[in-house]
Amino acid sequence: MGLKEILEHHIVDHVWSRAVLGPLSVPFSKHLLMMVIASAILLVVFPLIIRSKSRVLAPFRAIIEIIVLFLRDEVVVPNLGHKGAAYMGYFSTLFFFILLLNLLGLVPFGATATGNLAVTAGLALTTFVLINFAGIKEQGLFKYLSHIVPKGVPGWLYPLLFPIELIGLVTKAFALCIRLFANMIAGHIVILAFISFIFIFGSLNVFVGFAVAPVSVGLVLFTLLLELFVAFLQAYVFVFLTAIFTGSAMHPH
Amino acid sequence: MEALIRPEFGLTFWTITCFVLLVFVLSKTAWKPLMQAVEERERSIKHDLHSAETARAAAEKLKGELAAQLAALKAEIQRRLEEARLTAEKETDLLIEEARRSAGVIVESARKEIEAQKTEAARELRNKVADLAVLAAERILLKQLDHRANTDLAARYLAELEKERPDLKLGTN
Repeated sequence: MGLKEILEHHIVDHVWSRAVLGPLSVPFSKHLLMMVIASAILLVVFPLIIRSKSRVLAPFRAIIEIIVLFLRDEVVVPNLGHKGAAYMGYFSTLFFFILLLNLLGLVPFGATATGNLAVTAGLALTTFVLINFAGIKEQGLFKYLSHIVPKGVPGWLYPLLFPIELIGLVTKAFALCIRLFANMIAGHIVILAFISFIFIFGSLNVFVGFAVAPVSVGLVLFTLLLELFVAFLQAYVFVFLTAIFTGSAMHPH
Repeated sequence: MEALIRPEFGLTFWTITCFVLLVFVLSKTAWKPLMQAVEERERSIKHDLHSAETARAAAEKLKGELAAQLAALKAEIQRRLEEARLTAEKETDLLIEEARRSAGVIVESARKEIEAQKTEAARELRNKVADLAVLAAERILLKQLDHRANTDLAARYLAELEKERPDLKLGTN
């Protein structure tokens, strides 16, 4: 079994069955299961923690509260202005959804749904819709379209810049999609490579393989911790960039 | 490896469905109560801060008033002390003056008394001396009384007297 098969086995989605929904063939897969688990946690556990008055759950409530307040005070309001409070639901959900999907990828037998291009594409698409929705709602459709090209550009450049800026709009969302996807699978690939070292060296000589094992495991542990950090970081980055793009769509100056 | 980057659009559909649903449900069930609680607390903190500020200002004002009162009291005490000191000084001066005057009176009367006594004593002494002298002279005279000699002497004295005072001359006028 080569590295290719191992990688595909561990990173690529496992589709168990399919259903046809109009023109779309929707899969029932491991990544969908992860999303369902994350959604169940968000739908059941979060309201429970937030609404409960129990002292045992108070630290968890405080953690959620700190994160939401951080998002409000440091991410959403500075970028979107005071009207941004209305979008807090979107940003909070986005952060915790991505974070939970990232963390589920680090749980044994779990899979990283955010390491699937289709999933990140879905998130980026909703963000794309949100950016344009917020821009149009704030400025009106025509003003929004006219403000896509930055101010102070000479008139004759407009025909050239307008398509470029339109592409840029899509590129922002596309970059979000790729960034999250690449960051989430990169750690897994590195971990699998480190583990494969043991067997690569073991195929040379069994004792060399045993000698390499502790080093590999140490490196894997380190990478896992890094992935834990990246899980939080990428959730934050995704939300932060979404806020910046939405803010610039709402306030073009 | 292309399986890694081959997007499964069905999953995209699931993702969008899941996520949009989550946004709407969680906005109602989770974030709204959370933000309400947070805003409630922020409001109460602001309120507490405000009331603390007010209380502090009141305390400050009270402190200022007390300090002013204390200063006034101190000034009053100072003034009273000064007054008392001045009164006492005046009284002392008065007493000393009085004492000096009465002492002067006493000394004066004593001197007068002494003077009177001295005069009295001198007069008595003179009287006594005169008495003694007279008595002594009497004794001496009684002892020395010699008829003849005295007659001569008297004649001489008379002659002298007649010479001095011719108006008293006996027998010639």
